[in-house]
Amino acid sequence: MTAQPAYAVQRKKRKKSLLTDLAKNPWLYIMMIPGIVYFAVFKYLPMWGLIIGFEDYVPYTGPIKSTFVGLYWFRMFFSTPMWLNYLGNTLILSFMSIILTFPAPIILALLLNEIRNMQFKRISQTLLYMPHFISIVIVVSITYVIFGADGIVYKLTQKILGHSIDYLGDPGVFRWMIVGQSIWKETGWGTIIFLAALTNVDTQLYEASMIDGANRMQRLWHITLPAIRSTIVLMLVLRMGSVLDTGYEHLILMSNSLNRSVSLTLDVFVYQNGIKGAQYSYTTAVGLMKSLVSVMMVLTSNKIAHVLGEEGLF
Amino acid sequence: MKKILSLALALILALSVMSFVAAEGKEEITLNVMLPDFNSDKDWVTFEDGNPILQAIYEATGVKLNITWVADAAYGEKTSLTVADPANMPEVMVMQGVRDAIMISTARAGAFWDLTDYIYDAEEYPNLAEGAKSTYDNIAIDGRLYGIYRARAYARAGIYYRNDYAEAAGITEVPTNVEEFKELCFAIAEKGDAYVINMCKYVAGTIGITPVMHGAPYQYGVTEDGTIYPAFEDEKFQEGLDFLRDLYAAGGIDPNFMTIESGVWNDAERSNPPKAIMRLDCLDNGYRYQEWLETNMGADPEAPIVTLLTALPDDEGNIQIWPQNIGASGEVCVCKTVSEEKLPAVLKFLDWLNSAEGQTTLTCGVEGKNYWIHSDGYRYAYPEGEKENQETYTNYNSTTVHSLNQLGMNVGGDKTPPTATTLLRSWYNQNLIDNAKDVISNPCFTLDSATNVLLGTTINTAVEDAQVQYIAGKIDLEGLQAVYADWHAQGGDKILAEYQEAYDAIH
Repeated sequence: MTAQPAYAVQRKKRKKSLLTDLAKNPWLYIMMIPGIVYFAVFKYLPMWGLIIGFEDYVPYTGPIKSTFVGLYWFRMFFSTPMWLNYLGNTLILSFMSIILTFPAPIILALLLNEIRNMQFKRISQTLLYMPHFISIVIVVSITYVIFGADGIVYKLTQKILGHSIDYLGDPGVFRWMIVGQSIWKETGWGTIIFLAALTNVDTQLYEASMIDGANRMQRLWHITLPAIRSTIVLMLVLRMGSVLDTGYEHLILMSNSLNRSVSLTLDVFVYQNGIKGAQYSYTTAVGLMKSLVSVMMVLTSNKIAHVLGEEGLF
Repeated sequence: MKKILSLALALILALSVMSFVAAEGKEEITLNVMLPDFNSDKDWVTFEDGNPILQAIYEATGVKLNITWVADAAYGEKTSLTVADPANMPEVMVMQGVRDAIMISTARAGAFWDLTDYIYDAEEYPNLAEGAKSTYDNIAIDGRLYGIYRARAYARAGIYYRNDYAEAAGITEVPTNVEEFKELCFAIAEKGDAYVINMCKYVAGTIGITPVMHGAPYQYGVTEDGTIYPAFEDEKFQEGLDFLRDLYAAGGIDPNFMTIESGVWNDAERSNPPKAIMRLDCLDNGYRYQEWLETNMGADPEAPIVTLLTALPDDEGNIQIWPQNIGASGEVCVCKTVSEEKLPAVLKFLDWLNSAEGQTTLTCGVEGKNYWIHSDGYRYAYPEGEKENQETYTNYNSTTVHSLNQLGMNVGGDKTPPTATTLLRSWYNQNLIDNAKDVISNPCFTLDSATNVLLGTTINTAVEDAQVQYIAGKIDLEGLQAVYADWHAQGGDKILAEYQEAYDAIH
């Protein structure tokens, strides 16, 4: 706590003049340049492309000369009855994956943290990171082999239940399969940030609580979790920003004639009609709308974080 | 191997020296061309490196081809990027979808030369004028031609099946009508040695062929009083679907066909024993299947165990064949990067590509280097008596001929020297000629509907999905009709109205 006022004073000083600070720490600013260039070139410049969402864009004519049509494409999208279906699919899948995949790496990190045998811990960590490096195409292929009609899981369920579940076709199973694959692939990798946060927990607190007679569960609940609370909230806020990003390659790979009613999300729609169907204006408008909703989600969740007394994102 | 290579290299060198002599006197032009690449795993020998085919083309026409290859899978995306940069567009490019949004909007924006007044000029361009007017009409945009179509056989679609399995099921005669064909299917299904129809995720072939065979229109129908309606609302279409549904229920179709990728479609039939023994698809796959059986299973080439079947009369005696295509697969467009002065020379060159000499050079290569005429009078890809070295020659061809045939238009038909043919191959070739008259077409193909461009794919996919679910017994007729009603509500009615308006304007 004693460091806080000193820091605040320093900050006030620095705010005084950018120039003096620049002269004082030129290297720090030079080191910032690549980052600024990256964001300018890859994040801000492409935003000009959004203009085609308000035009009847013809690639040959170019974005500058194409006819301006205002909000035509937005109205177009909302006038088709399908949009509710797309939005519904997107939201359901997103919230399912937040609720189910978000806590998974935290739980796993806590479990790993309790392992006392270092060698065992290292080996299991390495094994857990592995699926992250497997391409989603391979993951889906493996799923097809295991859950397909000749697969071991399919046949096992047949033996146990007497009838089998159509894992790859049944629309009711589809979302669980998607979430399951994501959990299998990303949970191990997701533990890294939480494990890093766990190393910062002051071990003296554990010792003190042990003397006071706290058991493992109590230590977990009263020391470990509160210590990584801000990390969890920060990660959750970040995750909220991409809540509508369902991605398309995973869904397209898993979709077929039987489950398309639940696998068509906004991202899949944009890919199929924009990239494949060359309807750039229409799909840019849809993509832009999706981004606006995402921004609102980040702002709201950030606000909630502040209300809960956490630092949040900004 | 080395010897052949050095010999070939020496020949190329000698020829390239000669070619510069030969090309003198002709107007020399360089032409930038963009083509889809089906051999992207193989190297490409450029003009400068002495590609014998490009050298031969240069010798004959004075045109130096500079080719940009784009992997076929990425060609659609690359097309959009290419036309978005008008100054750097190639001079000649292949557009793959003649009615795709990108083709229509780009042509209307004026990116391609309007060739309407040149193509029918039989005096200047005799080979281009040979093209079929009906196919030219199919690729016209607002009544104007912005390219030369790449001809494809109309009557490719049909049925092929293993007749040894049919015989085992007690049917020795080849079906002569749709009714007998259905009996055959159910007989094989009952015998249960294998699935009957080999189906996969790609269902457009099977769901296309079956209803059309039963007498349904293709995609859209027109009633006697001139009203346009979607094909799936025709009762004959329902008959076709019901047949597939019944066959599925009888165990004649792999219950999980909708999760089988089209990339492994062949595996179900090309295995021992086969999982499925019949397919409704392009018939050229049928003779390839027989050839596979000959190579891998020791099948007798003189008595094929694969039977090709098409043009079956329905209950009323009418014969209808599903159009696998519109008589064309994409078109070759001349971009505005070609100046008005250069245009006649470019068209002269495209005309030449449609001549016998041009076709042969482009698709077969140079005689004595890429192909050989043997003493039996047929064209082979290896010199006589060197069958064992076939692979060396094939490899050489894939780096020199590569995917040059993608620039081939062949509007006047195939004029290349004939290859030796099998029983099934000659049957197939004859079928293309005999049965072309029975191929039906989509009456709305050339009509404009903005809604169809925007929503067509989405709502049609929903209908196709429902049909698959109906075949697989996941939904009943009521469920299917609910999806049809949705189709109308979600844009189908608008599409029909737009088509109707365009249709009435012509008729």
